[in-house]
Amino acid sequence: MVDGTENDIKPNGNYSSDNNLLIDCKNVDVFYGDKQALYNVSLGINEKEVTSLIGPSGCGKSTFLRCLNRMNDVIDSCSISGNITINGEDIYNPNIDVVELRSRIGMVFQKPNPFPKSVFDNVAYGPRLHGKIADKDEMSHKVEASLVRAGLWDEIKDRLNEPGTSLSGGQQQRLCIARAIAVDPEIILMDEPCSALDPIATAKIEELIDELKTNYTIVIVTHSMQQAARVSQRTAFFHLGNLIEVGDTENIFRSPENEQTEAYVTGRYG
Amino acid sequence: MTEHIVSSYDDDLKEISDGVISMGGEVLGALNNIETLLKSNDHELAQKIIKNDLIINDLGQSVENKVFNILASRQPMAIDLRIVFSAVKISLYLERCGDMCKGISNRVLKGDLNEAQSPETISLLVNMCSMVHSNLRIVMEDYSKKECENSVKVWKSDSEIDSLYSEILMDILNSIKTNPDATDALVPLLFIARYLERVGDQATNVAEETYFVVTGEDLEGLEKTEVENETTF
Repeated sequence: MVDGTENDIKPNGNYSSDNNLLIDCKNVDVFYGDKQALYNVSLGINEKEVTSLIGPSGCGKSTFLRCLNRMNDVIDSCSISGNITINGEDIYNPNIDVVELRSRIGMVFQKPNPFPKSVFDNVAYGPRLHGKIADKDEMSHKVEASLVRAGLWDEIKDRLNEPGTSLSGGQQQRLCIARAIAVDPEIILMDEPCSALDPIATAKIEELIDELKTNYTIVIVTHSMQQAARVSQRTAFFHLGNLIEVGDTENIFRSPENEQTEAYVTGRYG
Repeated sequence: MTEHIVSSYDDDLKEISDGVISMGGEVLGALNNIETLLKSNDHELAQKIIKNDLIINDLGQSVENKVFNILASRQPMAIDLRIVFSAVKISLYLERCGDMCKGISNRVLKGDLNEAQSPETISLLVNMCSMVHSNLRIVMEDYSKKECENSVKVWKSDSEIDSLYSEILMDILNSIKTNPDATDALVPLLFIARYLERVGDQATNVAEETYFVVTGEDLEGLEKTEVENETTF
């Protein structure tokens, strides 16, 4: 029985499905002050796949997601131990350039958060910040290409100078995805990207995730079991800071190995 | 398994399982009647079995409707999805069993048993019906308890029914060889044996589905010899 204090739990399922490993997390512990949020989590994430992180509120899935781009660094009380590598590179190495790291890892949040700038400038913000593109035509091309990839170009190509905040919720979220991919990341982290969206906007984001996985590695936190089943190839179930089970999504939702996973995905958890 | 947070979800799933169990009960009743029918050639009983098939079909339709609603409203996962998915398949298997019983009854009404005059063959058919009934009863009991140990045994023992079917086949063919004049009277018994053999197949199908519900694994993909070693219940 997981009581939230054990640190030697071995999750059910396979740590990684094959040798296509991009992100390798070993024995990750996270503390917020004295409170431990993650216990000895080891999870491999494969390249150009969608991995879903599921579990009840407070289980540590968002904390884990934020370890992958060192977002937790901005919380003073947060401390992390263990080892996380991307392409074999230790991302917590003191010599690593965190800004450069985050340019390789885009992030999309629960609530669409476009900058109070034009649609164009929202997408151009990243490439400008990282000094990747100086030429105006090249920037226009980059903005267009990013909006096309985010499935938004046809809808807003005539509104590039309007504020990003004037778009609908679903469009704003896709604008945020366009902003994330404008800096050519390898990885996109999504923290409940559809929880504030209606079913149509959600469907468009899911369609986009499906397309994006051919070029990007995507890790998504979601509270929707059906969404995890639809969009991801691998699913990891967290509970009370422990990684309980990880495996092929089909197996997690058809016949999970762990009783707690089954209880959670069937709505019996409580 | 603990209960769902939403208690009405448990009620919905139970209604589906109960519907399948009721269908199983009706089919078992029909098979009981077939056994009696083979011994008695009672045409009133044959009519009753045919009428009973409508009840089985209605129950199947009701299961289907409930499954349709639960898929739309609950989007079941894991064990729940297996229960729902299997309910559709098992109800179809049971509906076919009902059709077989109806088929046998129709043959009896046509007078097949009047002309057969082959008490040994009829006796073998009665035995076969009894075996098929027993197998279906066992797998339906397993299904109702969400267990699968006995279903695996039934699945493995289906060859016994097949052997009896072959025995009946040979018995009839030999009788025809020795007495060609009896051909018209004996051939209809082949059809009855075939119907019963197919009901036996449906029982093994139900066994496979029950195994899938309980374990999440496919029974069919495993070698029969492996099953005994791999399943600990």
